[in-house]
Amino acid sequence: MGKRVSAEAQKEAVSKLLEDVSSIEGVEGEVLTRTNGTQDRNIAHITCQPSAWRDLAETMKYDHLVDHCSMITGIHWPDSTECNWELIYHFLRTGVLDPKSTENGSSIIPNITDTKKLGGNTVPIEIQVNVAIPETRTPSIASVQDIWIGADWNEKETWDLVGIDFEGHEGMRRVLNPHETPPGYHPLQKQHKLRYHGFEEMYDDAQGFLRKAPDSGRVK
Amino acid sequence: MAEMWISMGPQHPMTHGLWTLKVKVDGETVVDTEPDLGYIHRGVEKICESRDFTQITTYCDRLCYASANTWSHAYIYAAEDLLEVEVPERAEYIRLIAVELQRIASHLMWLGAYGPDIGNLSIMVWCLREREMMMDLLQELGGSRMHYNFPRIGGVKRDLPYGFAQRARAKLDLFKQRIQEYESLFDESTVFLVRTQGVGYTKAEEMVNHGVTGPNVRAAGVDYDVRWAHPYSVYSELDWAPAVERSSVKGADCYDRYRVRVTEMVESANMVLEALERMPGGAETHYEPGDPAIIAKAPSRAPEGTFGSHHFEDSRGESMFHIVGGGEGRGKNPYRVSIRSPMFITIPYASKCMIGYKVADIPAIMGSFDPCIGETDR
Repeated sequence: MGKRVSAEAQKEAVSKLLEDVSSIEGVEGEVLTRTNGTQDRNIAHITCQPSAWRDLAETMKYDHLVDHCSMITGIHWPDSTECNWELIYHFLRTGVLDPKSTENGSSIIPNITDTKKLGGNTVPIEIQVNVAIPETRTPSIASVQDIWIGADWNEKETWDLVGIDFEGHEGMRRVLNPHETPPGYHPLQKQHKLRYHGFEEMYDDAQGFLRKAPDSGRVK
Repeated sequence: MAEMWISMGPQHPMTHGLWTLKVKVDGETVVDTEPDLGYIHRGVEKICESRDFTQITTYCDRLCYASANTWSHAYIYAAEDLLEVEVPERAEYIRLIAVELQRIASHLMWLGAYGPDIGNLSIMVWCLREREMMMDLLQELGGSRMHYNFPRIGGVKRDLPYGFAQRARAKLDLFKQRIQEYESLFDESTVFLVRTQGVGYTKAEEMVNHGVTGPNVRAAGVDYDVRWAHPYSVYSELDWAPAVERSSVKGADCYDRYRVRVTEMVESANMVLEALERMPGGAETHYEPGDPAIIAKAPSRAPEGTFGSHHFEDSRGESMFHIVGGGEGRGKNPYRVSIRSPMFITIPYASKCMIGYKVADIPAIMGSFDPCIGETDR
């Protein structure tokens, strides 16, 4: 048997984290259990108001040692008013510490985790934070670039592709789109369709020989 | 001397793909760097919104040309989380074999490309020779050499072919012997040691805060691995331990990052051999495609309000998909697919690691992080 972190230990650690962060105003949490894998996954699923996000982030990082910002997903819901824009943050608590050096200081002792001894703030857990932004044309949220440096490029990407701005983010710029992309153009917003969206003939006529110009038939 | 900005890339041997690294130099010393990505951005996330769940697998294969199987598996685990599918145990073993073989092939590709980076051309030919064996095995599974399209939601495309176990054992045993040849070629080559030792130090905690994971972190003397920290598949059934390098007190240098990948290849080979032994039903059995022993039934639509995500240990670090259901065609398509690429986060960090070193160290440092631009730019 190889080593693994047990689902029970993760559930306990997740509940403890949720109990603590739920005391922040505007933050609600529940344990989300996924049972379809070989081992049950217990995820801390947190819903947070935009105003409470910065508080929650600091509590997670400094009180609960959540050290790894995995991914930031931005979603555009054009039909919704209370959740017009949604941000989903994925975090991991990895428990990675710098290894200690040997007594004479010549080399290090590798940190080999004993999963049986894990407890408290060292159990690796998954955290998902959903933040809903109500209807607006200029969505924005506080940046956490200074808390997790790993959030830096995730935030750049989210702004670039989805158009959600991060207040206090230093050095915001286009990362995946070309630098000369016009301001206000963010391709993952839902009003932008793929060019051949609904055009079935695209597949039969890839070179476009059979397609007509949009003004064909009109008097010029 | 006056400082100046120079631009390396997008067509530069250092880049391992197409991207630009802007370097501010003072004479020969690197003072500041700025990565500029997006050269091959294809908009996979947007394309996925107009494809159904099965079609997306082929796009995920093409995210990384060196490690196609790990990416399609990363997607499949997230899709199964979304659609709540339970996978037969035999299929999990076959997936594990496919992913670990791909990990070896990917690391060999990296090592083969890293040699020429730092002036050791012969290693490339040796690595590609071994990689060919892994490609042959993967080709038997998936049917093609690069983009296998092997996993399916609920299982795998087909079972192990007849005689696969025998050939895999022979090739992996040979591979484990040949690994020693690399060690004698690299570890005793003065050119290699001078270029990699004492260059590009990184610390574990700093890396995790920057979002760097995978072999790069394990090189710094910690054994963090998604495969045991957030167990999925059947890794916990096997007897294995992640490869950890005893780095120097200053942190992991390029040499440690090379060592950890070599150890990891041996570890993956052992995992495949063990999985072939322990597989339920036996590795010699062959089920027809579509048999419930290797694939479970899965729904094709995900209703509104559902979401699924999965952390996955890719060859280069932690990769992840987040899929939101309820898109076009009454949930046939996803509403949003979001991809975490380990290299997208690692490249900015690797660029900052170069500050203070010489311009000639840039290929050695950048190459040691194993960049792959296909997944970075998506």
